Amino acid sequence: MKILGVGSGAREHAIAKKLSLSIYNPKIYWIGENKNPGIVRICMKSGGEFIQGSTTDPEVVSSTAKRFNVDFVFIGPEEPNFHAVPDHLERLKIPCIGANRSVALIEMSKAEMRRLQWEYDIPGKLLFQTFKSAEEAYLVLEKYADSLTWLQNVALKPARQAGGKGVKVVEDRQIYLHEEKQKFKSKHVSWLEGYMRGYGDIEDKILVEENVWGPEYTLQCFTDGTTVLGMPMVQDNKNAHEFDIGTETGGMGSISGPGMCLPFLTIREYEDSIRIIGKMVSAIQDKTGKRYHGVVAGQMMLTEVEGPTIIEMYSRLGDPEALNVLHTLKTDLVEVCLAIIDERLSKIRLEFEDKAVVVKAIAPKGYPDNRSLAIGHPVAVDEAKVSEIGCELFWASCNLHEDGRITTAGSRLVEILAEGETLPVASAQIEKAIPYVKLTDGWGLFHRSDIGSEALLKRREELAERVRRLYLYRVEKGTVGKRVDWLPGVGKVDPVSILKNGLRR
Amino acid sequence: MPGIIGFYPFGEGRENWDASRFLYYGLTALQGRGEACTSIALLESESKKINIYKDNTHVEEFYKRLSENKVRGFIGIGQVSPNEDDGLIEVKEPIRLVLAGDGKPGYQGNRVEAFYKLAQRLSTLLTEREDPLDAATQIIKEAGIGFSFVALTEREEMICCRDPFGVKPLEVGAVGFDLGIVSSESAALDVVGAVHSGPIQAGECVVFDPLSIRRRNIPNSESRAYCAFEYVYLARVDSLLNDMPIYNVRERIGEILAEEKEAEGDVVIGIPETALPFALGYSNKTSIPVKLGFMRTGRHIRSALKPTQFERIMGVQLKLNPIKAAVDGKDIILIDDSVVRGNTLKNTVLNLRRKGAKRVHVRVGSPAIISHCPFGTEVPPIDELIGRALSEEEIAEIIGADSFAYLSIEGLLKAIGLPRDRLCLGCFTSEYPNKEVRK
Repeated sequence: MKILGVGSGAREHAIAKKLSLSIYNPKIYWIGENKNPGIVRICMKSGGEFIQGSTTDPEVVSSTAKRFNVDFVFIGPEEPNFHAVPDHLERLKIPCIGANRSVALIEMSKAEMRRLQWEYDIPGKLLFQTFKSAEEAYLVLEKYADSLTWLQNVALKPARQAGGKGVKVVEDRQIYLHEEKQKFKSKHVSWLEGYMRGYGDIEDKILVEENVWGPEYTLQCFTDGTTVLGMPMVQDNKNAHEFDIGTETGGMGSISGPGMCLPFLTIREYEDSIRIIGKMVSAIQDKTGKRYHGVVAGQMMLTEVEGPTIIEMYSRLGDPEALNVLHTLKTDLVEVCLAIIDERLSKIRLEFEDKAVVVKAIAPKGYPDNRSLAIGHPVAVDEAKVSEIGCELFWASCNLHEDGRITTAGSRLVEILAEGETLPVASAQIEKAIPYVKLTDGWGLFHRSDIGSEALLKRREELAERVRRLYLYRVEKGTVGKRVDWLPGVGKVDPVSILKNGLRR
Repeated sequence: MPGIIGFYPFGEGRENWDASRFLYYGLTALQGRGEACTSIALLESESKKINIYKDNTHVEEFYKRLSENKVRGFIGIGQVSPNEDDGLIEVKEPIRLVLAGDGKPGYQGNRVEAFYKLAQRLSTLLTEREDPLDAATQIIKEAGIGFSFVALTEREEMICCRDPFGVKPLEVGAVGFDLGIVSSESAALDVVGAVHSGPIQAGECVVFDPLSIRRRNIPNSESRAYCAFEYVYLARVDSLLNDMPIYNVRERIGEILAEEKEAEGDVVIGIPETALPFALGYSNKTSIPVKLGFMRTGRHIRSALKPTQFERIMGVQLKLNPIKAAVDGKDIILIDDSVVRGNTLKNTVLNLRRKGAKRVHVRVGSPAIISHCPFGTEVPPIDELIGRALSEEEIAEIIGADSFAYLSIEGLLKAIGLPRDRLCLGCFTSEYPNKEVRK
């Protein structure tokens, strides 16, 4: 058997590794922009090959697949999906694990995703409004600034998935700090307008969403379009820095297990979340008439008003979340892929080891906001030492050169994984491995020591408990999803029906 | 015991934040820790220079005077202090830095002098060590115990350290994907809309720079000597201190007081503001109703902290007007937070009697203060401390109460929920966490 993988981050390293362990003993071929030393090694060992090339050019990927005559293609990241790589492969009758462009819209357009959810009335919604210009957005945000409607407590996002950049949460609830926050909002919507000029493939530029609070989690699923099979819940940590401070990143580390739920979430919340994701898959297939083959994931939050709520959708595995679930997956990954291709996923039983798993990313300073500073630094990793400590290292954003040198490529450099009886044990294990990842030119690296720690877990538990109490009270009272605003001089307004009426028009 | 705060933005558009407004509300929230001197330092985004503003006044007045200047800055630190001329410390060379400090590090001299030495040493270490985290670690190793600080350098670093025993508090919070805020108390984080992340640990240093936050604990930093007076008096009742809600501690103190030193009475009255939760705890335990006994006039003045005797008495008279309807003809259990010299209490009891109180039993939510604080909290000379000089019976006689009793040390430990060797109880016991503590 021959498989071609697409992408070159830590997620793809983990996918390559898992595929290579299959009883089918496949030859692993791979295509990626950066030469990931981990993937290169797996390809060579399996008798396959690593090709450095564009992952978003359908021609390049499909010709590579044909050249090696592979049995199927596994796509790691989202951009190939957005660029119709799976569609192209499908036309050439090359099976592919990857959401085609039509269904991947649930990730590519955050605005379309939300519109779809409201249109099909799928639970776990957020109020939203889209704008084509900064001026338009600013006028609406300012209009009732002193009335404390949902528009005073918002997340400002680029309407299109844009490399995880540009999301700002502005909780403008302290009247005495309003001026500062309003100034900041105004500057950020202008910035978003400029930033989105680079993406001509979508009409909406700025998405303003209701800001919510609660514990976040990612629920990743395999789907063949009919069956949706869930994996263990994972919690990623998006803030760049310790103490949950700082810029939004692709993810600085993730925790999962033991078991299918996170320690602070319940099986009922897991099941509700799976149902929501299943409905999203049905909705997007119904809307587009296309089948969904691959991975679908909800980046979710337990919220007061809606319970399990979609923050964003992924049309692929998360990074680093993929590492957690693939590590404990006992079912043969190739078997799962073949079942997706043949649309017989309902016959598969996904099994996972009952372990706590922690992953931490190490990034060069400059990530994520000043990537030019983070590129090109020489890397020295003592991989033997890392595995001696009992951790596993996955290469992420880096380049392996002809002479064997490795340099940073601007994003997260490596991700280190450890398993344990508990999350804090696994977290402490990774800390021991951190010193063995270095840059030899003296440029700094950073990671988050607090991920999976006792202290952070306690905070998450406490947060979940507070939100759950409120949500369950709403369930009891029958007020799930209900919002009411008051505009002096206008009266009582129901933002939900305003939104629904707007969609009907 | 000053209040300190640091404001540090990250990410796209970080220069757009105006640190001074956040510092204003944060410092206002910390004002209970001192109001004789307010100062802030702001790092300007264009020039990358730090401007310092300092005045011997409280926060509101400070900002009123400041508004005439056009202050700007996207990173900033601030401090409120109970002593005049005790503002932010500036070191010009080799690396210019400004420092806000709580407590007192182990250098010679008074609080300001000791922190100046620390700041100077830190500035030197920052040039000697390539990694600011190494410099911060070294300063924690060298500077003894009894301090927390936030320092801002002109290289855009914000360096936060807590001494190896964790005597003084330092808490961290975050706002969205943008702001990191460090403060003496979690309540100040709430006030500026931040989510409280938790404490900086004893012996831990945290270095903020434009591209990262890094932290490190000095090795073997397992010893603890959290200041017990923070739990009883200094910290705000809506703060969490070392992960423990102050409110819970203070309500428990009231309950334990009721168990240890029960008195007969018709009503429980707490002296505002600090003793109110003690009174609630006492009332919950005994089922004797709690009443509002006093109405305050003027700004909130923390009477134990005023610098002169006269101001102290004036403060208490202004602040505590007994409500006749609540006390007339009643036997009163009067709860206070702490007794330093006893004068304010004498006045309070007298005022209650004049409004018709029959019996007055005084209960104090902390043990007797008998010794100085080596970590910068101003305690009067020991010969002025009533608890050191006199027994409970003698004090009752002097202040004109029918009985008088303190919370025991054991009761205090039980209320805080920590063993004796995890706390500094020096002002109550004259025993200090390390042997070489200066007199």
